[in-house]
Amino acid sequence: MALREFTAPELPRVNSSAARLVPTLTTIIAALVAILPLQIPGYVAITPALALMAVYHWTLYRPDLLPPYALFAIGIGEDLLTGSPVGVGALTLLVTRAVVLRSRRHFVGRTFPAVWAGFTLVGGGIMLGVWALHCLIEFSLLNPRNVVFRMVLTIAIFPVASFLLGRIQRALIDGPRLMHRR
Amino acid sequence: MIRLSPQIRAGIQRSTLPALIVLSGAMLIAGKADQTMFETLRTGLSDVTAPALDVASRPLGAAEAALDRVRGFIGVYHENRRLEEENRRLLQWQQVALKLTTENRQLQGLLRVVPDRAVSYVTARVIANSGGAYVRTVMINAGSQAGLARGQAVITGDGLVGRLTEVGGRAARALLITDLNSRIPVKIEGSSTGAVLAGDNSERPRLLYVGAPETLKIGDRVVTSGEGGVFPPDLPVGMVSAGPSGPRVEPFVELSQLGHVLVVDYGLSGALPQPIPPAVRSGRKGKAATSEEAQAPAQPPR
Repeated sequence: MALREFTAPELPRVNSSAARLVPTLTTIIAALVAILPLQIPGYVAITPALALMAVYHWTLYRPDLLPPYALFAIGIGEDLLTGSPVGVGALTLLVTRAVVLRSRRHFVGRTFPAVWAGFTLVGGGIMLGVWALHCLIEFSLLNPRNVVFRMVLTIAIFPVASFLLGRIQRALIDGPRLMHRR
Repeated sequence: MIRLSPQIRAGIQRSTLPALIVLSGAMLIAGKADQTMFETLRTGLSDVTAPALDVASRPLGAAEAALDRVRGFIGVYHENRRLEEENRRLLQWQQVALKLTTENRQLQGLLRVVPDRAVSYVTARVIANSGGAYVRTVMINAGSQAGLARGQAVITGDGLVGRLTEVGGRAARALLITDLNSRIPVKIEGSSTGAVLAGDNSERPRLLYVGAPETLKIGDRVVTSGEGGVFPPDLPVGMVSAGPSGPRVEPFVELSQLGHVLVVDYGLSGALPQPIPPAVRSGRKGKAATSEEAQAPAQPPR
């Protein structure tokens, strides 16, 4: 396994330290929004994986600003707050980064449908993997129905998340020019 | 800062991600082997984030209240009619209840019945849920500072919600009755048929080990049996309904729409044993042995 695949490529340096924190902060916010008690019947089981979207977006466009240790900390925090087995969240986000870094060149600089298709593959695959992991942890076959709903909802909402994150990125990190280069 | 050669620094950068992936996997296995390992971290982080989550969840509550008010205005005429009707009926019931209370008191006096233990309530707001498909827990904005303790029952006006599994200073986590790891001794109301209510992360938990399955009917009310000493008897839980693989229970409480909950102290919270770290566990018989010893100090050591 080539370790080179797991390193972030060289990207234009961002000097403002506040701007450098934007990807981490938005990912933390996404993780927190997902656990807010929205009073919608049946919503808890199918809450879209918001942090996953943020990690996909930032790893695609600014992997240098969302380092692995930030993902590790966010994932562990998520597990502690939701009461999930500690490590699942961290593992999910880190594996997402690894997968996206390896396949990044297929998606960057393409039109949005390609990016969305990429998320469908990567995000969907990761969510199925998490389901399998939970089946293994609990040692029983968990009902996949909610997982499928959750996957569909996550993929359906991704364009909105991507639009918002893209706006944030252009306004705070890139300036208007750099968004679709590389 | 320590100066490193560019090669070493690049090497560290490259290996961070695989190393952290391995570390998360290791934490997962370690946490599975020893459930208590991350407990202090969990309660600590809950305490730290509770104020922020509390503030963040307030607008949602306010929006819900506003929506409710609008809905209320629309249906106000019919609602009024319905309430008047209900009020008439309840006034009759009030008379019946008053009569029965008096009679009950007299009969208890005759029989020297030991009165039920005093109950205290703490009302708390739900500030976070588990936001995913694999656990069913909620975090509430009250903790040991408000007198909460592990094992206390969490209810709403409609029925049982779950029980407290982790209690920090300012926040606590409740395991809902629908969670995969929730097992609650229940019975069918008005009979002695016992069963176990087993969550499986779906909205309707399963009903296992029914004492007399042939007597079970759809629509039967399920209440806690009080066995095991974690919950007091006769808390309403839900109604029996049919499922593809055996009977299930439709909870009385709309668990996905919890706003405020009541934490009830029946003086039973000692019954849920504290998790024991493995160092203590080895060489002992198990959790039950320790709590027995704690309750019966008069017995001579074996």
